[in-house]
Amino acid sequence: MIWLTWRQFRAQAITAAAALAVFAIVLAATASDLSGMYNSSGLLTCHGDACSGLASTFLNNLASGGGDFLVPGSPYAILYFLSVLVILIAPAITGIFWGAPLIARELETGTFRLTWNQSITRTRWLTVKLVLIGAAAMAVTEAFSLLQAWWAAPIGKAVGLGGGASIFSEGRFGWFVFPTHGITPLGYAAFGFALGVTAGLVIRRAIPAMAVTLAIFAAVQFITPLWIRPQLFPTSHTVTTIAAAGANVSLRANPKLAVTASTVPGQPGAWIISSEGVNAAGQPVSTIPASCEQVVSDTLGSHQGSAAGPGSAALNNCVASHGIRIAESYQPASHYWPLQWSETGMFLALALALAGYCFWRLNRRRT
Amino acid sequence: MTAVIATEGLGKRYRTRWALAGCTLSIPAGHVVGLVGPNGAGKTTLLNLATGELAPTTGTIEVLGGRPAAGPAQLARVGYLAQDVPLYAGLPVADHLRLGAHLNPGWDADMARRRIERLDLDPRQKAGTLSGGQRAQLALTLATAKRPELLILDEPVASLDPLARREFLQDLMETVGERQVSVVLSSHLISDLERACDYVIVLVDSRVRVAGPVDELLATHHLLSGPRRDPASLPDQMQVVSASHTDRQSTLLVRTSGPVLDPAWAVSEVSLEDLVLAYMRQAASPAPRNDHRHLEVRK
Repeated sequence: MIWLTWRQFRAQAITAAAALAVFAIVLAATASDLSGMYNSSGLLTCHGDACSGLASTFLNNLASGGGDFLVPGSPYAILYFLSVLVILIAPAITGIFWGAPLIARELETGTFRLTWNQSITRTRWLTVKLVLIGAAAMAVTEAFSLLQAWWAAPIGKAVGLGGGASIFSEGRFGWFVFPTHGITPLGYAAFGFALGVTAGLVIRRAIPAMAVTLAIFAAVQFITPLWIRPQLFPTSHTVTTIAAAGANVSLRANPKLAVTASTVPGQPGAWIISSEGVNAAGQPVSTIPASCEQVVSDTLGSHQGSAAGPGSAALNNCVASHGIRIAESYQPASHYWPLQWSETGMFLALALALAGYCFWRLNRRRT
Repeated sequence: MTAVIATEGLGKRYRTRWALAGCTLSIPAGHVVGLVGPNGAGKTTLLNLATGELAPTTGTIEVLGGRPAAGPAQLARVGYLAQDVPLYAGLPVADHLRLGAHLNPGWDADMARRRIERLDLDPRQKAGTLSGGQRAQLALTLATAKRPELLILDEPVASLDPLARREFLQDLMETVGERQVSVVLSSHLISDLERACDYVIVLVDSRVRVAGPVDELLATHHLLSGPRRDPASLPDQMQVVSASHTDRQSTLLVRTSGPVLDPAWAVSEVSLEDLVLAYMRQAASPAPRNDHRHLEVRK
């Protein structure tokens, strides 16, 4: 059965290996230049607050096309974007092209009648297929991820030191960074593959199953950071001043008050899930104090839009002077690995549940 | 005599339609059994139930005394050639044999190789580019080289031209002769069955109309023609299968174990084809099958 699995999977395996090789060559060819820029940026020897300025300079250079490249624009930004994108869509690709046709193609072409009438049970047939190809999907995705992490290590360090410029501003908890690094790619790959297999078995036709796999997987990828990831581990809460939270007061629709915090005091690298204005008693404040409305009209000259530019500091100060503070709920940096494990575990469990359903259906319903 | 396939009240429903209902039959071992019937009689459904591809909705089915596809051992005992002759279009002939060798502990590699050589198949040729006859031959090789005790073939020659059909059946007969394997073969081409089978089952609307060794069936069925008379007036041991009348003459197909003694009749032999057709035509008369279906649905 292992032979047959390999024989049917050979072409896809070669394609994946080739894609991985191209990915590795492109990153390897640019990695030394990237780390060279990092080493000469002064970030290796900096201390304290100086680092964040240097880090931003380094990232700005990257974003604006520094380095030894002769290409115009910013090759590092493009490479960074594409490499993250590859890891993000690899589970969908393997789910669509490896998972969905796995059973559906056999049902479509009738070849299940050939294979399932050899001296081998469907359970064993599916076990070998799921384990081998599922492991391959996980390995390929994780390999992409590890390669990218190695290549982008200088960028990650600079962001960690407080730098940020255009595309290079996502920390480890970022929407695109978190699910493409660490161990989460394993979970996504397993889930995408199992999803494809299940869709193929239920729909019984490969092309529609591929479309359904893509739709569901994309939806899950979108929903997870919004509603699921923040809940995977208990959040921490703190209340601090507007200045300490690095917050900006903005006006969604005057006099509504909205704040966006950028840091958690004493918690570098924390993932801020939500922030809101609260009064001295700790109650949420949703409107701008009346006396600050004058500041708004003075400085912004408009009742709409967000407070940005020279007026924002005045508004921040005015709101702060009324005793309004910022309540933040966040995941501290130390929750990075627990969250990685939780998210990976969740997707692995989903993948196992889907696989279990496939086994049940294949034996119970027959065809 | 042990049964290779034994069913009891076997039924299979697809949503609301019964493809097979209340089928009770027993197919003896050691024969090449032809399963005949009109389209929609439930032949393919019966065979798919026998291979375990489908699970019964009602009733039971035993194949070689075991539950179909119950495990590797049971699967190894049954060889199956499906109606659409499934092969992996992208895999060459040699890889199909390798597939068989990897998936069947009882695989007879020698026999498989010899067959492919004899059939003049190029091992490197992809299955998708083979002719219909070659495909059927390759599929038959896969089904027989696993050394099954029972070989099930569903309309194996339906898509073949007359020459390929004859070659396939001849080859099947030789293989069966060498292997001592029981065969169940479904077809609606009665001439093919005449060549290949020594036992016939006529299945109409899930019901066995007649079953028995071909020799015995031919020996006990007679075509009688004579002056017109009511079939009911015939002796009790004579069972009228079909009757047709003109103004003055009656032609009857009867089944009887004894000789036909009445000198009023001109007695002639029946061909297997006439016999089978006569039994199949019986179904055209309104049978109680509709009642049965209603009962099944209500259950």
